[in-house]
Amino acid sequence: MNAMSPTPSKKYDLDFARWVYDNVDGGDRMALCMQCGTCSGSCPIGTQMDHGPRKLFMMIRAGMKEAVLTSNTIWNCVSCYNCVVRCPRQVPVTYILHDLATVAVREGYAQATESDNARFGKAFWWSAAKYGRTDERLVTAKYYFSFGFGEGYKKGMANLPIALGMIKTKRMHLGMPHKCKNTGELSKLLKKAAEMEAKKHG
Amino acid sequence: MTKTMSYYPGCSSQASAVHLDTSLRAAMGKLGVELKDIEDWNCCGASVGHIEGGHMGMFALNGRNLAAAQAQGGENLVTPCAACYLNTHYHNEKIREDARIKADVNECLAEIGKSYDGGLHVRHACEVIVNDIGVDKVKEAVTKPLTGLKVAGWVGCQTVRPFAKTERGGMYDTYDDPQFLDDFITACGATAVEFKGKTKCCGGSVSVMSPDKTLHLMKDILDEAKAAGAEVITTPCPLCQTNLEMYQPEINKKFGTDFNIPVVFYSQLMAVAFGLDAQKDAGLHQHLIPAEQVVTRAK
Repeated sequence: MNAMSPTPSKKYDLDFARWVYDNVDGGDRMALCMQCGTCSGSCPIGTQMDHGPRKLFMMIRAGMKEAVLTSNTIWNCVSCYNCVVRCPRQVPVTYILHDLATVAVREGYAQATESDNARFGKAFWWSAAKYGRTDERLVTAKYYFSFGFGEGYKKGMANLPIALGMIKTKRMHLGMPHKCKNTGELSKLLKKAAEMEAKKHG
Repeated sequence: MTKTMSYYPGCSSQASAVHLDTSLRAAMGKLGVELKDIEDWNCCGASVGHIEGGHMGMFALNGRNLAAAQAQGGENLVTPCAACYLNTHYHNEKIREDARIKADVNECLAEIGKSYDGGLHVRHACEVIVNDIGVDKVKEAVTKPLTGLKVAGWVGCQTVRPFAKTERGGMYDTYDDPQFLDDFITACGATAVEFKGKTKCCGGSVSVMSPDKTLHLMKDILDEAKAAGAEVITTPCPLCQTNLEMYQPEINKKFGTDFNIPVVFYSQLMAVAFGLDAQKDAGLHQHLIPAEQVVTRAK
């Protein structure tokens, strides 16, 4: 794995495309993109994206690193994999968008770190790492309150009828989170994984 | 003869999709498959874990499950959850195909005294029913057919995309017009309506975090189900079921509609059609929008 990371300070980074080809999961196949637009045309939420995958890929080639990593295209992806199965060049579009999202957060772009998905992803990973399981209640609460107390309270109250319904139908339990028996082992494993990941990115 | 398979229930099996877990175990029992839980399984990372966890974090989570499944024997790991299937299958294939990744994952697993050689086959429960059990066996197991019940088979996304038409995905259906769910519905004695929304997306985890972006996607699916004359929608995906059920009041508020369509799992239809208990085995009392049609039609 190439340890060189794209430089966040530059608006145009002509090494960015090469970096994406070499480091992003599925990036090597992105070089084969012929700009047909099947991906953007297949996207159920494409109308809410600033660029859509086709244009985003062209922007990567043009070295528009900052515009790519601050784009909402990488966050609005609903992971339906329509683009992946339809791409005539077998470019794994969804995987590339997921990976660019990880890069954007790692590089600290505010549009990325303050996005709904990054907040949700952070709450989600907290639960997965701490308990070994997703606690839907705690992840949602942690996500809501990441916007501040007032906003968190508002979001919580808006979803109260759903929560009460889930409790009534025994699809949301009261009491301690479900967890793995061996959470110590899991922490040790994830610590090692984080070290290996950090090493990869220099 | 009962066949035993390692089973990965996934986090939603203890929460929002507990009725998928209950009904699948019951239905699979009738179909001769015993599901043996992976010892101390953990979360797969779903569709957002990569943001904080990165590649190695996702490989570590999935690698631990795969190692535990392999340690308890057998060749298969079966899961009913779309996201669990996608992640476990994807990471398993990477470990199997790429020696460098396999080495990295094992370096990580060695930290907790475990290892994994990529030898398992990760399967979706629906694919197991299609390829190993056979839809004809589902039909044979039916003692109380759901005669006349009009059902829209909503497959969603990750149950078929991107693996259903790959060799390791079992070549069990197509991406854009899958038939297996309609076949399950028909096997249960119900009527599969002509449903144009079968592979449309509910917005997945984006619907959980920012429903304002995706309510129109769910409305579209409900519109199609209504136009097709469906009384009930059925799906294999835990998140699809929860999203489409819990957001109907919100959709009605936003678009001035009056949707109140039950969304159930295929395994619940099977459990009822197999003559099992509607509550204890099928979990049909666990819906925000009651689905009593399923019970009253079973005769």
